[in-house]
Amino acid sequence: MRETAGRLSERLNWLVERVVALLMVLLVLDVWLGVIDRYLFHWQLPWPEVVARYLMIWAALLAVSCGIARREHIGLSILISRIPGPLRRIVLVSMDGVAFLLFFYIAWFGIGFAGGGASRQAMIFGMTLALPFAAIPVSAGLAMLQLVLTAIRDLGTQSLTGQAEA
Amino acid sequence: MLVALAFVGLILLGLPIGFAIGAAGVIGLFEMGGDKFLALGPSKIFNGLNIFPFLAMPFFILAGEIMNHTGITSRLVHLAQALVGHFRGGLAHTNMLASVFFAGLTGAATADAAAFGRTLVPAMVERGYKKDYACAVTAAGSIIGPTIPPSGLMVVYGSLMGVSIGGLFAAGILPGLIICATCMIVIAIGATANDLPKSEKRAQLRELAQIFRQSVLALMMPIIILGGILGGIVTPTEAASIAVAYALFIGTFVYRKITVADFIQMLIRTARVTGVIFVIIAFASILGWWLSFNQIPQQVAQAFLLFADNPYVIISLIIGLLLIIGMVMDITAILIILAPVLVPLTEQIGMSPIHAGIVFVLALNISLMTPPVGACLFVLSSVTGERLERIAAKLWPFLLAEVAILFVFALWEDMALFIPRLLGFA
Amino acid sequence: QSKTLKFGHDNKADPFENPAHACTAVFANIVEADTNGSIKVEVFPSNQLGSAKEHVQMVRDDVIQATLTSTGAIASYYPRIDVLNLAFAFDHNAATYDVFDGPFGNALARDIEATLGDVVVAGFPDTGGFFAVTNSKRPIKTLEDFEGVRIRTMTLPSHQKIIQSLGGEAYPLAWGEVYSGLQTGVIDGQMNPVPIISFAKFAEVQKYMTLTNHLFSPYTLMLSKSFWDGLSDSEQRTIRYAAESCVTASRGLSRIIEGSDRGLAGLMDKIEVSALSAQDRDKFKAAAQPVVLKHVEETLGKDGVTLLEMFQEEVSKANAKRYMQ
Ligand code: NA
Ligand code: NA
Repeated sequence: MRETAGRLSERLNWLVERVVALLMVLLVLDVWLGVIDRYLFHWQLPWPEVVARYLMIWAALLAVSCGIARREHIGLSILISRIPGPLRRIVLVSMDGVAFLLFFYIAWFGIGFAGGGASRQAMIFGMTLALPFAAIPVSAGLAMLQLVLTAIRDLGTQSLTGQAEA
Repeated sequence: MLVALAFVGLILLGLPIGFAIGAAGVIGLFEMGGDKFLALGPSKIFNGLNIFPFLAMPFFILAGEIMNHTGITSRLVHLAQALVGHFRGGLAHTNMLASVFFAGLTGAATADAAAFGRTLVPAMVERGYKKDYACAVTAAGSIIGPTIPPSGLMVVYGSLMGVSIGGLFAAGILPGLIICATCMIVIAIGATANDLPKSEKRAQLRELAQIFRQSVLALMMPIIILGGILGGIVTPTEAASIAVAYALFIGTFVYRKITVADFIQMLIRTARVTGVIFVIIAFASILGWWLSFNQIPQQVAQAFLLFADNPYVIISLIIGLLLIIGMVMDITAILIILAPVLVPLTEQIGMSPIHAGIVFVLALNISLMTPPVGACLFVLSSVTGERLERIAAKLWPFLLAEVAILFVFALWEDMALFIPRLLGFA
Repeated sequence: QSKTLKFGHDNKADPFENPAHACTAVFANIVEADTNGSIKVEVFPSNQLGSAKEHVQMVRDDVIQATLTSTGAIASYYPRIDVLNLAFAFDHNAATYDVFDGPFGNALARDIEATLGDVVVAGFPDTGGFFAVTNSKRPIKTLEDFEGVRIRTMTLPSHQKIIQSLGGEAYPLAWGEVYSGLQTGVIDGQMNPVPIISFAKFAEVQKYMTLTNHLFSPYTLMLSKSFWDGLSDSEQRTIRYAAESCVTASRGLSRIIEGSDRGLAGLMDKIEVSALSAQDRDKFKAAAQPVVLKHVEETLGKDGVTLLEMFQEEVSKANAKRYMQ
């Protein structure tokens, strides 16, 4: 059970990380295009600045689930490291539960938020704001999935250094 | 009350700090009653991140990844080592001086922390420095970036309070340099206690020339970026993308050290680190909204200043207040909410607008390094993998020194306005 | 029991410093006094609660009950607001009062209400008057002077097209980077109403300012409909006339700022100011208007064109009117 969860978490994360890398490439190219346009093409593109913000948000929010899978989100371990073993495991698993509830809230209300974006114009490409706004429910959903998988994988036995080597 | 308890309690129980901030904010929205407040959360998350200059952070992290991988960093460090390595703690001093140079490139402390955390910290660790100490030095130096112009916070302050932005920029130069000098003194004093490394012999001139030749291409990097900004070719945010371009170009075509697989890994690491930091910023904007909507910072400020009538006490209270609220709230939000409340007080006691402005900006930047909510600490912790509390433990002598400098500038107007007066701004 | 009206806007917290706060201060005073405190007004200036776009959403969700929103911020909810970007439409300030208080303003308000469905529009306060163009390349007096000057605009296709139609180059740049962008020369210039140019300290980094008066973008005073529906008739009436005074105050203060050291008079010491001659203005108008008309046809369809035609008609009536005659 724990191994299966760990494997699933790893595979899901592998995929999400590749998507994130692709978004990062597009982000870099987009900002370069904005600069080059000013000096070379003079197309006066209206969208590089907007698209950069949306790509950044998508990439960063998707990467939140990668941070969960690798337990890289920064915390303090001053108190928790002094709690005896069995109790500590209960506390740590319930903290995964708290995080799950938080992302459930974001996913739930995020769906309504993205839906509201469908009736709003993004001022470029005649696009609605549903696409950028969807970053919130999608990444919160992924975060929920990774929280369940990693909670089963670790069952409160994770090391408390908090962050793996970057 | 419940919000504060949840925030502190969840952090102590080991919930990641970003998530604890988020939970506290959501509890705040829930307390206000009704779906309409809860529905606000996703919008605050999106809009908290929807800011173009934030791009500087991932780009400088990515540039750092590439520089490390291709050896650009180690060439620069090798040169620094040859120049100052015979002093104890030479690289720590180099880190400080580099912060002054880098200050011309960036307007945000977090961008500085991101760039150095990914380049200089690993290099220092390689040369025998302890990681927590290397992070502390970098954190201490990172506030030089937004103090010496350009500075994003000064632009916000200037347009919000109607103060000359050029004047604020001028006022930042002297404290920036003095912070650098003072931190170098702190490094020197603590060198033995922190067991800072020292290379045995001084480099010969011929050796030095050779090292210099090897690092010419690497040295071009900051020159190209700074030239790009001052020459009016790119904005400071775009400059970060030029750093990526140059590092990529050198790494691929000159040093030939980057494969596609390497590059994918660098992109993923950059995104992960960015995600860890941005989730905190995003959740902090929910909590920040809740605080603003209930006018809590203003109430705290008024309660705080109720009994003060002595100018020195007022200045000290303002600084204390900014440092304390800076522990839990984003600094731009604090500036927007508290400057209109506090700046009239500084007028009453006769502080000139530029003087008050530089005190505000310095205090808020210093609060970026105070735990638990210190963006620079988060960036460094996330980028280097060092624990937050360990960095904080090594940071306090620097923090004390910087707060002392802040008080000197706050209480000594002639010094604070020396350069602005010289340039005709005050 | 008393109701609370939370009012958010994007400007500074001093009624003598900017039209937005002048407007909200007047509004708050009248509403609180005339309802005997049955409605309490709390003003949140300086975007304390979020961006102007978020303010609109918060009004729609009744999280706050009123806001002053710019045309740029409302555009994503109500794209037809773009018809106001017909460049060089108004001959003078008085004409803007006539148009936004008259049949067109009324039609626009009802159209916004019908499109959004959850707001009440109570007027169009002044943001600080007409747009001016600043730059550091050369004084812009004729159409030829515009050639190749790089102007920062908002990410608003119609604003970009106006600059391009005049011969300039238009690049969107994030607001936070405009000051340093102008300082280092990443861009040559920008366009905004005079009080914003003054308030953003652009005169420190710009050499020339041209009073092109090419655009007039009012605020939209917007209230939450669910809040509105919960008010008594007499409370609604109070809010209506408080809103009218709020609009008047914004106009008065805008003119005062323009005429005082905080506006044009103050800027003239720091930046070379010039106005367009009538002939040159006609040339600018002839170059820009067809481009905007085409843009409206392409992006806003039939409803947009109808609204634009009404706008043109009412503006030409207002332009022709003579004061006290
Ligand atoms: Na700087
Ligand atoms: Na802090």
